[in-house]
Amino acid sequence: MNNRFGLKDLVVIVLLLAIGVSLWLSMVQKDRQWEAIQRQTAKLDELAQQAGRVERERAEIQRRADELGEAGQKKIAALTEELAQVRKEIASARAAGASLGSGSTASSPAAKNEVAVAASDDSWARPEVPIAKFPKYDFYTDPRSQPGFREGGEVTEIYEAQLQKVVPFVSTDVYGRRVIDVVCQSLGAYDAKTLKMTGVLAEAWQIDPKGLWIRFKIRDKARFADGTPVTAEDIRWTFHDFMMDPQIDAERDRSILRDVVDKVVPISEKVVEFTFKDAFFSNLDNAATLFVLPKHIYSQFSPAEINKATGMLWGSGPYRMEKQSKDDQWTPPGDIVLVRNEQYWGPRPPLDRIRIRCVNDELPRLTAFKNGEAQIITPSVPQFKSLSQDPEFTKDTNFLNWVNMRCGNAFIAWNCGERNGKLTPFHDKRVRTAMTHLINREKMLNDIWKGLGTLSKSSWNPTSPASDPAITPLPYDPVRAKALLKEAGWEDRDNNGVLEDAKGNEFTFEFTYSNGGEIAERLATFIKDSAAAAGIRCTLRGIDWSVGEDIRKQRDFDATSLAWGATAPESDPKQIYHSESIKNQGDNFAQWNNPEADKYIDLGRKELDFEKRMKYWQAFERVMHEDQPYTWIRIQAYPRFFKKEVGNVNTYPKGLEMWEYFRGGAALPMQSAN
Amino acid sequence: MLNYIARRLFLMIPTLLGITFLIFMMVATAGGGIGAAVRAAGGNLQSQSGVAVQQAYLEDRYGLDDPVIMQYFRWLGRLSPVKIGPRDLVSPSGDLIGYPKELKAPPLWKWFADSLPPAPKPGTKPEFKSDEEQVRAFRAASRSAADARADLVAQSALLREALKDYVVEAKIPAAKDRDGKVRLAKVEPLPADKTVPSWPKVEKFGKAAVEAFERARIERAKLITIFDTKPYPAAGVGIGPVSLTRPDLGSAFSRNRPVIDLIEEKLPITLMLNIVAFPIIYLIAIPSGMLAAIRRGTWLDSGLGVLFIGLWSVPIVLAGILAIGYLASKDELHWFPVGGLHHQAADTYTFLPTRTEAGWQPGYLLDSLWHLTLPVLCLVYGGFAVLSKQTRAAMLDNFNADYVRTAKAKGVAPGDIVFRHVFRNSLLPLITMFVSIFPAMLAGSVVIERVFSIPGMGSLIIEAINLRDRELILANATMIAAVNILALLLADILYAIADPRISYK
Repeated sequence: MNNRFGLKDLVVIVLLLAIGVSLWLSMVQKDRQWEAIQRQTAKLDELAQQAGRVERERAEIQRRADELGEAGQKKIAALTEELAQVRKEIASARAAGASLGSGSTASSPAAKNEVAVAASDDSWARPEVPIAKFPKYDFYTDPRSQPGFREGGEVTEIYEAQLQKVVPFVSTDVYGRRVIDVVCQSLGAYDAKTLKMTGVLAEAWQIDPKGLWIRFKIRDKARFADGTPVTAEDIRWTFHDFMMDPQIDAERDRSILRDVVDKVVPISEKVVEFTFKDAFFSNLDNAATLFVLPKHIYSQFSPAEINKATGMLWGSGPYRMEKQSKDDQWTPPGDIVLVRNEQYWGPRPPLDRIRIRCVNDELPRLTAFKNGEAQIITPSVPQFKSLSQDPEFTKDTNFLNWVNMRCGNAFIAWNCGERNGKLTPFHDKRVRTAMTHLINREKMLNDIWKGLGTLSKSSWNPTSPASDPAITPLPYDPVRAKALLKEAGWEDRDNNGVLEDAKGNEFTFEFTYSNGGEIAERLATFIKDSAAAAGIRCTLRGIDWSVGEDIRKQRDFDATSLAWGATAPESDPKQIYHSESIKNQGDNFAQWNNPEADKYIDLGRKELDFEKRMKYWQAFERVMHEDQPYTWIRIQAYPRFFKKEVGNVNTYPKGLEMWEYFRGGAALPMQSAN
Repeated sequence: MLNYIARRLFLMIPTLLGITFLIFMMVATAGGGIGAAVRAAGGNLQSQSGVAVQQAYLEDRYGLDDPVIMQYFRWLGRLSPVKIGPRDLVSPSGDLIGYPKELKAPPLWKWFADSLPPAPKPGTKPEFKSDEEQVRAFRAASRSAADARADLVAQSALLREALKDYVVEAKIPAAKDRDGKVRLAKVEPLPADKTVPSWPKVEKFGKAAVEAFERARIERAKLITIFDTKPYPAAGVGIGPVSLTRPDLGSAFSRNRPVIDLIEEKLPITLMLNIVAFPIIYLIAIPSGMLAAIRRGTWLDSGLGVLFIGLWSVPIVLAGILAIGYLASKDELHWFPVGGLHHQAADTYTFLPTRTEAGWQPGYLLDSLWHLTLPVLCLVYGGFAVLSKQTRAAMLDNFNADYVRTAKAKGVAPGDIVFRHVFRNSLLPLITMFVSIFPAMLAGSVVIERVFSIPGMGSLIIEAINLRDRELILANATMIAAVNILALLLADILYAIADPRISYK
């Protein structure tokens, strides 16, 4: 070994140093370039802001002009009316004068007609069909009227599951839907407070009394985020050339709407007409809630590009995606950043930016919230309960917990028909009613869900107008349950603590549930204990979700627990509760067969008048309450933690309206819309 | 040696085939079957109409209506770099456009038509004035063909639904399988029973399906004539019917995204974590194992042993939660971020730390390291024990060997004994352990990823299994299996290098 430091070593060391230094220099150089780019971007942002301000001012002037116009029109209408009055007086005076001479002449109706013509511009509409008008589309609660209002700032919300894509019609999950809802708009939407369908992009519509067509008039000022006006052609294109294009992965909506909508025809630039294959109560919902996409943007892309896109989202809503180009679109797992649509045609939303992050685990979610990295999270049930007693935490946090139209509805379904060719004990209405009486749902709600949510009484969400407020959940009443069971032939004949029927068969049943969750396990044990207390043997069967569908199709269960999801205040009950859905392994897996319920379902589905239809749905609910094919347990509440600095957060029956929030400087008082 | 390597590489092919086949069959026979992933709406049930048609559309999209074996071969065909048959086209956006898919004749068509309409003759090769016109014609034809195909799929699905009533009313024995689907083989040989109440419905959908089939065939033929003019360049390189292209891993059912995109997204994250973590494990565990062997029986030896075993026995979940609760929470120390890989403003950072007007800014590099600290800590601490114990045991074996005593007696310097004699001879078990890290590097750690909200391979694989996402499971399994086999080969080569006595002649 020769340890002398030679020329070779020197060269190697110098080379290494040179490489290191050049690497360092290149990094510094990159950084400088980066800064330059940042400056450019900032300048661009500033310009965009400026453009936004100019746009805003223009809109303000427009609005004032509109207002002036409105006032002017009112004045004109008043004057016209006055004129008509005078004319009428003249006419009557003339008539009086004439009657002196030669009898009567024609009089006032002509004058009245003039007034009517002057007041309306309904030339777009079909004649003699009533028009529903929605002159204004505004905040449900104006943030500017709230104490501590401030414009600007950013709010971060953390979702519990990783978003995969936010592409209208192609993404199907709930979380993606929440994002798309603030970027894309549709002709109409459920009013957040009343849950009635109201116009968004449409300022008016006409519904065929026979239910076969709906004609929409689009607002003149409605435009997409790039300033292009929304036209009837955009709507036709969205339906026929986007959603109904089989090359686009929108099977879910396509399979539903292909049987519903016949065609979408643009009548003029701002008037579009949907025709339907059948008169059906949900036609208006189906047509009005269809997202309207900008044709001039989406038509640039091939179906393959849209199918594999993750963040290609453009619309006319109050916010737009920060990343707008196809090559630089949002991809998971990054934060979704929504920025204010400076060209929004409606009222200006207060927040500059909304940031959406996904964190799967509950503790990091809470820690991020505590650290101030997020202002809105969905807590777990134990977190909600334990932290409500923590004074440090409650100081700057609002606890939200309410029921809205999107809440899931948990239940136990009793198999009312045959299982493997044998009737279950639950084919008897008295037994089912007894089971409901036996299960203390209030205790369940408090023990298992720590009181989060409300007791459920039927398939309808209690906020829905389809639900009859007079119906309340059956009380926990073991005595009544015993009596009912005895009536149905189940009593303890040999004093062994277990009920038997007349032939001596013991009352046993199997409770099937999807395992893999603490709550599911506790629920199953609760049911088992409740049954045991009344002398009923219950065995538990935990199954994997993937075989659940198979078991339901085979009707291979006695009782099972599940939850229905909801997206709208009313849904078609036929699929789940009609006796026709029992055969061919339809979705009526409880095999509930009640002719009276069928009757109300059939009547309701055909009824186009909202009020009358609600009467039918309520009648259906009463039948169901009487028959108890399901024991309804709980409407899953929407729990949220909100930092108090976020203002104008309202717990509407429809859910939260992200675009109304603002970020105040200090803690703000809590709002409630209910 | 080269011969040996070639032989091993060749043997890889049947091994991989076996692995993929096994996994494919496992997914296919699991509860809910392959389609379970497609049906998983996630969470609550939704009541909706049009389920049968939606199902049929999805099955058609992913080819789930074919026998399982055929599906496996189709999957293999897409994976194989060598392809036979018409080549795909590559659209300007880089997407592959396959040759128009075959159409399935509607079920029981004999009941509704005397004969199926004859397959349309391929039209004459169309002439186009410009490339643009050709592309436009191709797009229009694709849309028409897709519309016609979708209609055929929907009508066939509705016909199958109608047949469910029909077979009951016509009292055909054993006509339904467990899933409640009609076994066409049982119905087909029988003549149509036109007296049952549901016949008009069956006939209506049947006739519609036959008409849709005819239209779909015509549209497909039109599309093929334009496809053959190659409006876009063909994929890969090839002569005649054989071509060489990039393997296609398909599209994940549960996420509706190309599998390759998903892996490209997650793999770098997992690799980065592991590339930081594994050297740390090795650099700490091996020297401390050696030290423990040299200082055998001293407090150092037992101290290191107790420490490493103690660390090894702390569950990662607990460590992760404690780390977040104490080191990341604002209520406690708040030294580290809660999760994620970057600060939300990291996109606007420079690479190196800088001072800006707003104050000190950590830069992208430091920010990344800062975010990586806690997850890497959790990845690393449990790995010391096994490796250092293994090193220590192997070293001790050799310390007691005759040649070491001889070397000592010869007066070889103690350092040379440890490094040149003992350590080199203790390498064999370490090599075996070393190669196992390659597949582990790809697999990622589910627990750590979940706790620190890092979207890596671990969560991808677990979710794929939970949701029975066949394409995703197969792609991951194939990748990990291939790396595993290659790693074993590497181990064998390293043995030969480390130990001259081993040779593969």
